[in-house]
Amino acid sequence: MKEKIKEIATEVFEVQVHDDTNQNNCENWDSLRHLNFIIELETEFDVSFEPEEIASMTSLSIVESMIQEKSNNI
Amino acid sequence: MEFFIFRNMTIERFFSNYKTSFSGYEDISFIDPDAERYIWFYLAPIKTDNKVISAEIRNYIDLLKLTISRIPSSKTFIIFTLSDIYSINTITGANDIKEAVKYYNSTLHELALEHNNIKVLDFENFLSRYSSTELIDWKYYFISQMALNPRLSNPFHDWFKKQVKSIELKRKKCLILDLDNTLWGGILGEDGIEGIQIGGDYPGKAFLMFQKQIEELGKQGVILAVCSKNNIEDVRQAWSLNNSIVLKENHFAALKINWVNKADNIKELAQELNIGLDSMVFLDDNPSERDLIKTVIPEVEVPDFPTQPYMLPEFFKSIAEKYFSIYNLTSEDLSKTKQYKENALRNNVKSTFTDMNDYIRSLEIELSIEEVNNITIVRAAQMTQKTNQFNLTTQRYTDTDLSEMLNDGAKIYTLSVKDKFGESGITGLSICKLNGETVDIDSFLLSCRILGKGIEDAFMNWILNELKLLNFKAVNSKYISTAKNIQVKDFYERFGFEIISESGSIKSYSLNLGDVQINLSDNYKYNYK
Repeated sequence: MKEKIKEIATEVFEVQVHDDTNQNNCENWDSLRHLNFIIELETEFDVSFEPEEIASMTSLSIVESMIQEKSNNI
Repeated sequence: MEFFIFRNMTIERFFSNYKTSFSGYEDISFIDPDAERYIWFYLAPIKTDNKVISAEIRNYIDLLKLTISRIPSSKTFIIFTLSDIYSINTITGANDIKEAVKYYNSTLHELALEHNNIKVLDFENFLSRYSSTELIDWKYYFISQMALNPRLSNPFHDWFKKQVKSIELKRKKCLILDLDNTLWGGILGEDGIEGIQIGGDYPGKAFLMFQKQIEELGKQGVILAVCSKNNIEDVRQAWSLNNSIVLKENHFAALKINWVNKADNIKELAQELNIGLDSMVFLDDNPSERDLIKTVIPEVEVPDFPTQPYMLPEFFKSIAEKYFSIYNLTSEDLSKTKQYKENALRNNVKSTFTDMNDYIRSLEIELSIEEVNNITIVRAAQMTQKTNQFNLTTQRYTDTDLSEMLNDGAKIYTLSVKDKFGESGITGLSICKLNGETVDIDSFLLSCRILGKGIEDAFMNWILNELKLLNFKAVNSKYISTAKNIQVKDFYERFGFEIISESGSIKSYSLNLGDVQINLSDNYKYNYK
């Protein structure tokens, strides 16, 4: 899952991402690409995030645990 | 850059397959002169008052006309028709919206007739594939003003690419038609004049419709020609004796009815009609004939012909849209067009506004400026956190930070904007720190929602004026560059500030208030509480 997330992030942010990539250390992670990232994640993992969750998903590690949590609940 | 896109909603995602840049929301003030082409992509505003919605839609046309006058006529300007993707039919005034949309779209077609560089794209053609609930994802609308469901972006990419291609394709001039099993069912030489299938029951019915459709194309200026392996006497006899045949000799500009190979015939047609091979489309039911032309004269368009007559309507639609679509309809094509054009002129499709100033005045903008209070301080802090583009220093503060500044005597001004279409709430902020007779402008920022109407200048001038009235002598300010605020890099220069120092990402300025003449633009009404 982690690799898939990184793959999507690399594509959306158009830069190589790492495990510790977050909104602050990735210049291309702007608000518009953030939404595109979320939309791709929702589609890929067949989950839906609430607006509050979307706002909190500011790093790849948070993203991963969020998806993990959603997938476990299904 | 391939496209510069004027828009009123968040739509970046829908054009991510092109190199683009975007206007601000409803912002027509800036037109990128380097763009190869321009796009106008407005959606019906999502608001609750139907009267306001319809008034805004009508206003969009005025914005559009002003924009058209400012775009070089040598560059393609693609304009999307407007669709109302969310309105509630039971609410009074829903009909007003329908009327406004109708007005908007019919005006587009009139404008396209007047300006050759304008191409109107029927957006409904895309939207109609989806149900109304699929069109909007309210979650994304509320968090980012994306009115169109972001999941439609992929199908949109494909659709739009096709549209662009068809706009760029030169309209074909000539349709070359085979006869047997193409314009009628059966083979004239074998089945005889009354044996061929045209008119009456199926399949004759299908061929009849096909012929009538082609006749319409002819009326629109498409040159029709025949290329058929037949005896010309047989065909002429059929034309004179079989009254079900719609397309007769007088419909065709040229005939190649003989037993010579079709490639040679088509080359001769091109010479006779004095048109290029690349402006011809050839229809033939026989795959080997099609193959011959595709191989020998690749310039000629040779679409696959349907295997069953009932597929003809769909086929006709596709070739008509692909090769003979009205995007490039010129006034010479069609006498009807001329009438339409005259009507359009009579209806006076002149721009309502002569220039930007005129437009701004028509908006009846009111700027309400207040010093921050207990209630607005939260929103003020939020603005410092969220505003990236029109933000001179990009300092992020919490409401506690702001309270402390107030305690230290700072003046924090908030700006709310109202125009004839509604209110924006607090969308501008300036933090002025007082230092004896000098003021330091710590922050100056505006939400991108209100840009493009000169409000940024009016707000700054108002502040400078206010500081002058308060007897301050000088103002210091800064521009700190970030990846996102390039658009304001020369903002202070506009007001007569002088650069004191420039190092790395920081430009420092100073302005002597005694020296400046401040003109508060009368395009706006100012309220100060």
